[in-house]
Amino acid sequence: MTATISEISIFLSRSLRALFTPPYRPKDIFFQLEFVGWQSLPVILFCVSFAAIVTIIESSFHMKIVVQNDALVPGFAALLILRELGVVVSALLLTSRVGAGLAAEVGTMQITEQNDALRMLGIDPIRFLVVPRFIACVIGGFLLSLIANLVCLYCAMLVSEAKLGYSSGAFITGMRAFVSFQDLVFATIKGACFGAVIPLVSCFFGFRCKSGAEGVGLATTNSVVVSSVLIIFLDFVLTYVFSHFY
Amino acid sequence: MLKALLQIVDDIGECLLFLRLVMRTAFRYPCTWESVCEQTWKVTVQSTATTAMAGFFVGAIMTVQFTLQLKGFGALGYLGGLSTSATVREIGPLLIAFLLSGKVGAYTSAELGTMRVTEQIDAIRCLGANPIQEIILPRFLGIIISSFFLLAAGLIMSIFGGMLLGSVFSGINPEEYIRHIPTIVSPFSIGVGLFKCMTFALILASVCTSKGYAASGGAKGVGRAVVSTAVMTMVGIVVFDWFTSLLADTALHLFAEGL
Repeated sequence: MTATISEISIFLSRSLRALFTPPYRPKDIFFQLEFVGWQSLPVILFCVSFAAIVTIIESSFHMKIVVQNDALVPGFAALLILRELGVVVSALLLTSRVGAGLAAEVGTMQITEQNDALRMLGIDPIRFLVVPRFIACVIGGFLLSLIANLVCLYCAMLVSEAKLGYSSGAFITGMRAFVSFQDLVFATIKGACFGAVIPLVSCFFGFRCKSGAEGVGLATTNSVVVSSVLIIFLDFVLTYVFSHFY
Repeated sequence: MLKALLQIVDDIGECLLFLRLVMRTAFRYPCTWESVCEQTWKVTVQSTATTAMAGFFVGAIMTVQFTLQLKGFGALGYLGGLSTSATVREIGPLLIAFLLSGKVGAYTSAELGTMRVTEQIDAIRCLGANPIQEIILPRFLGIIISSFFLLAAGLIMSIFGGMLLGSVFSGINPEEYIRHIPTIVSPFSIGVGLFKCMTFALILASVCTSKGYAASGGAKGVGRAVVSTAVMTMVGIVVFDWFTSLLADTALHLFAEGL
């Protein structure tokens, strides 16, 4: 237990030091950003738009129980999407796609001794592997949460028009009563924080990978589980903190 | 673009064909009860702690969010009922399926993929046994059965998390929180939650076993199988979340009109 904690803190401090000292690797960062952001975009947008449909259906169900009609559905659905749903769903998807990929990649490098080879060449593996991915994931999480939230809201608007019969103007009016620009800012902050969790956790498990094919599988599984739980925990903390600003 | 689309259709078809094979095997050559129990136990024990922790925080998050919304209406009394209802019907099954797909799905497809690329599955066939009956079917049924236990653990913990935050954050004492649960959470909602959970577990089980069983190309192939399992289960779960919600909504309307 103590050994694990000390390992985590050493890993974090070395990544932080490498993050702020040159040489920076802009080319690597852009390559990673393409993998994290652009290639994940279709899956995330697809899932988020389905989540929007479910939100509308479910909140209309609950609204009918409590206040007997569903006039407030647009506002509440927009609130739920902006505050929780858009960010968390896209972060969890990003974890299973990018996090698993990173852990498998770094783990394979570890067991085939490529990381030792890097160290032999005088390159710090943490600077070479972790830092570009970290920066790319933070920027990617920020941009993806922004795009996902907007697409999710748009889909919710379409669905509430088709299913509940609210025109898009009514939806936007209802939305404006509950949601402000502040909510979008908080959502993107959350997205960036979740993006920061993913590469740190998966690279940490990748570096600790035990030899053999089973080790890589275990590192992948562990990194996905730990980062999902950490994301949910962080979501709780950030929700609690932001709740004092409303 | 067209190629990617064809790939997706290919994946779905492969998965469905495999599901048919598994179902047929289940009825013709059923596996032993002990092996199913063993897999159920393994999956449940592996994931209970994770699920319970996630459930606790989800309950807490739902309570904080609902408090912020309900405060404006002075309807804080409904807090316990609403956040529990949202968790039971929607967030609980979805989240547990997400966590299971990360933990159990990835583990199972890696295990089966490793068995495939190290030719252990061919060895089983050489011994005259049916690999689907011996190794796939117990895992398949084990994942589906254990998902119900995990759902129960997660939901109970989410009620505790909501209760705690209800008394700390929004000033609703636990008795008040619990008192409103039965007024809003109907048996129908619980049925919807269970049905969703079963659907997600079925998707997860069929995707991860079929992807693992079809893995090829050494250690790299296993890695590919794991990542594609994760992405495909997530997409399938979200799509079927919509589908089951729609189904539940329709059923509710039918019942309401029938009454």
